[in-house]
Amino acid sequence: MVNALLKEKHIKYLKSLDSQKETLEYWLSEHLRLNGIYWGLTALCILDSKETFQREEVIQFVMSCWNNRTGGFGPFPKHDAHMLSTLSGLQILLTYDAINLITEDSEKLDSVVQFIKGNQLPDGSFQGDRFGEVDARFSYNALSALSILGMLSPEVVDPAVEHILKCLNFDGGFGLCPGAESHASMAFTCLGALSIVNKLNLLTPEQIDTIAWWLCERQVPEGGLNGRPSKLPDVCYSFWVVSSLAIIDRLDWIDSDKLANFILESQDEIKGGIADRPGNEVDVFHTVFGLAGLSLIGYDNLVEIDPTYCMTYELTSKIHKYPY
Amino acid sequence: MQHGIKRKQWTKELLRHKREEDKKKIETYRALVEQMLQFRDNNNYSVEAMRLTTKVLDINPEFNTAWNYRRDIITNIGNLIDEKFWQDELKFTMIQLKRFPKVYWIWNHRVWILNNIPINQLKMWQGELIVVNALLEMDARNFHGWHYRRVVISNIEKLTKNSLNKQEFEYVTSKINKNISNYSAWHQRVQLITNMLSNDQIADKYDFMNKEIEYITNAIFTDAEDQSVWFYIIWMIKFPIVKELLGQDGYSKFLKELRENAEMINMDELEFSGKDNFWCLKIILEIDMIQNSFDNLTDRSVFKGYLEKLIKLDPLRQNRYKYLLSKLS
Ligand SMILES: [Zn+2]
Repeated sequence: MVNALLKEKHIKYLKSLDSQKETLEYWLSEHLRLNGIYWGLTALCILDSKETFQREEVIQFVMSCWNNRTGGFGPFPKHDAHMLSTLSGLQILLTYDAINLITEDSEKLDSVVQFIKGNQLPDGSFQGDRFGEVDARFSYNALSALSILGMLSPEVVDPAVEHILKCLNFDGGFGLCPGAESHASMAFTCLGALSIVNKLNLLTPEQIDTIAWWLCERQVPEGGLNGRPSKLPDVCYSFWVVSSLAIIDRLDWIDSDKLANFILESQDEIKGGIADRPGNEVDVFHTVFGLAGLSLIGYDNLVEIDPTYCMTYELTSKIHKYPY
Repeated sequence: MQHGIKRKQWTKELLRHKREEDKKKIETYRALVEQMLQFRDNNNYSVEAMRLTTKVLDINPEFNTAWNYRRDIITNIGNLIDEKFWQDELKFTMIQLKRFPKVYWIWNHRVWILNNIPINQLKMWQGELIVVNALLEMDARNFHGWHYRRVVISNIEKLTKNSLNKQEFEYVTSKINKNISNYSAWHQRVQLITNMLSNDQIADKYDFMNKEIEYITNAIFTDAEDQSVWFYIIWMIKFPIVKELLGQDGYSKFLKELRENAEMINMDELEFSGKDNFWCLKIILEIDMIQNSFDNLTDRSVFKGYLEKLIKLDPLRQNRYKYLLSKLS
């Protein structure tokens, strides 16, 4: 049983991620590369070890994922741009204080804003790319990305907000679209999006109480959090649920000590990294969301993370907040 | 993003062996990808290009750029496309889904095919209902499955201009009867009832609601541990629609009987296991909070007593109960 945070091991694990080019898994996960770098880099930021990755190399890689035809970032060079990878690209640039590579290049700025706005549908929702998949995740991607660029506007925000509010269910959870079953990851995308555009006040105090109730019922006796009723706990919900509770100021509605234990027990004490649950294989996704969860509950002096953006406050304080 | 994969400790020997095996696979895969992207950059929309995407997607179904290219090929390939072509495309995604049921991109592609088939659309979507039935038979809580079911149903409804609410209501009822903890089905029950009511599809609404009350009463006496049915009950007691249908008297009677039943189940459990059932207590609280707002029958000290009990019984969420206590004073 592990009951301390293995910081050094996690740093070593995160450092090793880029030297995996001789494994098949590395190449089969190209479609997540930019997201993966953002997850790894943010994990390092929480551990106060940003310098572990080579700044110049990473920035160069991000810019090589820029898609000239459509604007926006693909997850890997020559891949099509997508809302998910576009946000990751911008998050990485912001983390390295290099967002000016986009904001000071008017052609690029125009085309990325165009790419994002172009994916908004008449009902205010967003598709991931031109092929029409709609998901509240993409609304979050859009608002977060435009916020990082300082390019939010009422024409985009107002219909987006209207659509997000329709994803709120009777039980206090949010679905991926109106009518879809509540899922904890959607609580983060919807509340996070509302928080970015400063519209949380559209939720009534009763709604906030119901939302927080559904969220705190995600904690199971082992201490971990699940994503839906009667499901197993999973470390990634340490972020989705805890950030949501933090955004609506109800962080104390779950037992943080028990949650911390569940996350710590999911560490790999030999090679570092955090898994979805104790005894399972680790990955960068669960490593960052486990660490972010720990940071949000104030564990062990980790660098503080902003629940709205899933980046450290030090970084998000540079974002010009909407309404401008 | 991996879920549910047991940790394995790699010895140096195992690692060396894996790397050797991977080396060949990586070479093949990268060569295929390279060629495919080159084809794409040359706007090659041929059968050969299509085959190339098949090969890539067989190895890596998560490669969304390959799916995108495949769709562009289909759109541009022109008169080569007949009914068999579309059938084959559906078959291809089915084989993929059997191997990788949780990959979003495959589901998206399937929806895209169905939206773009120029012929027999209704027959195709009706076929999807059989597919999604089978999927939810295997995994009754499958998130993609329920989402896909809603997409399928709404497309059939659009094409036939006929509501399937009643049929779907029977479907979710059968799912709940099989497993009372099927939260996905309870969720869908709420959607359907709301929809049927707003479209005036229930002839005797009063009777319908009373049957619904009977149904949940049976449910809580069957399994009072699982939170699924309780969330549904919260919807019933809180949403104005139910109160409107039952009328003030009917609604008060419903709350009163529900409260008595919750108390009874709790007493039984106390006797049987020595422990309170905290969902029963939570529901009693909700009922008391509602009643407090329109009449003042309930005693505050009773309310406080339940909250103090819950703080001990359900310590994970004790601060929620403390918050409710503080709202009381
Ligand atoms: Zn997870």
